[in-house]
Amino acid sequence: MNQFYLLNFRNCYQRYNCAVNSNDEIIYAYMSKLLPRMRNATFSGRGELNPLMNDPDYETMGMGTRIFLGGAQGYIIGEGTQHSPKNLNGTLMVKGDAKKMSPEFLQGAAFTKYGTSLYVGLGVPIPILNEGLAKKTAIQDSEILTDIVDYSVPRRDRPKFGQVSYKELKSGAITVNGKKVRVSSLSSLKMAKKVSQTLKSWIAEGTFFLTAPVERLPTNTVFKPMRQTEEIPFVVSIMHPAVTCTEDEEIQVIAKRIVTKSVNHIVVVDEAGKLRGIVTSWDITRAMAEGKKALADIESRNVVTAKPDEPLEIASKRMAQHNISALPVIDIEKKVLGIVTSEDVSKLLGR
Amino acid sequence: MARILIRFSEEQVSEPIASQIIIEYKVPMAILSAHINSKGGEILAEVPDEILEKVVNAFRQRGVSVTVHKLIEVNSEKCFSCGSCIALCPVEAISLAKDSTVQFDKDKCVGSTCSVCVDACPARAIKSIKQNNSENSASNREKKS
Repeated sequence: MNQFYLLNFRNCYQRYNCAVNSNDEIIYAYMSKLLPRMRNATFSGRGELNPLMNDPDYETMGMGTRIFLGGAQGYIIGEGTQHSPKNLNGTLMVKGDAKKMSPEFLQGAAFTKYGTSLYVGLGVPIPILNEGLAKKTAIQDSEILTDIVDYSVPRRDRPKFGQVSYKELKSGAITVNGKKVRVSSLSSLKMAKKVSQTLKSWIAEGTFFLTAPVERLPTNTVFKPMRQTEEIPFVVSIMHPAVTCTEDEEIQVIAKRIVTKSVNHIVVVDEAGKLRGIVTSWDITRAMAEGKKALADIESRNVVTAKPDEPLEIASKRMAQHNISALPVIDIEKKVLGIVTSEDVSKLLGR
Repeated sequence: MARILIRFSEEQVSEPIASQIIIEYKVPMAILSAHINSKGGEILAEVPDEILEKVVNAFRQRGVSVTVHKLIEVNSEKCFSCGSCIALCPVEAISLAKDSTVQFDKDKCVGSTCSVCVDACPARAIKSIKQNNSENSASNREKKS
């Protein structure tokens, strides 16, 4: 091969989401393998070692900045695609001679059931030109926050579970909804350190010279994602208000309610509207036949539920799996938001 | 402690072989993972080193395939210590060393019955070693045929 260049349109994300999966099935994504029910979390980026985080006003970075790229010298040629500095999501577009790069700093990667990728070692020298830069480059992981995002919801605006700092992410475990979740990095801290040490030694030896950018990276732009034109149905778009009862009500009263409201499922809630159980018209019939009086004797306490943000397809699969015909929809505090039934699903699919 | 992988054939699953051996030899056997159905299955168990040989022989005498378990192989040349695998490991056999190198603890790993890390490695540096061709299970197959 006589020529081999690396032109990377988006590299060096300033920070990135922390990914979790709240659903029942494994997800394979570009954020790697996400186990069901938030049994793990992944994050990307190196936090306080990220060049853009150390110079957030891009005083030293822009077109023409000489950088460490894949083990050789390369250049920033501008802002990367999706560059969104106003919300601390800057990116770089870079170029370098791949023939001079080394496999140690440029490694192929495969994400199962997602696709291939490239791990690129990238380092940017930041000269301390002023007091402000001295201060900015002292940034620490504890000051860098990112969103915890639920990747089980396949739409652009995914639900979030609050924020975490890179310090917490690097500690190996974070707390999501009060639950401890172990978290892994997708990018190598070991290699990030090696990149910065190698670049430092090049500068010290006088083999790498710093350049001033011809044009600095823009600091005032916001990336606008493409408009989503089609959306798969979610539980929230089909659920309807649930007919409820409390545990102190008599079976006779509940039976009447089933008839007047013409439903098959009554959701049992406490005073705060939180889920306690579920009673079906079949349970009531059986109670009548067996002469049972107390709701506690017939209600099902082990309720299979749905979340408003999950795709209808997954909720409907869950109904089939458990051989049931309705799922109460609850929020994270178990408050009942509504109910989705197999009838609703067939109506929608039948359209 | 030593790890053994016990494989039961379709004919063997209905017999209480493991229980008999536990009672007969008074083995404090810790079951780490088990996958068994009517077609056969396997148990990954931990037994004290002192009685390892006795237990292995007891299973083999009953025609059950036993292998002293080896596991997961990590190619340290391919691994670039991203650490994606760390939080996936249910037994915390993978961790980050002081110098940020990903380290793998063979003694903690429950091996090929788990393998959760294998397809999550972006460098494809982790391999699960299946031991179907071990000497003993091969001879068992011959006996049956």
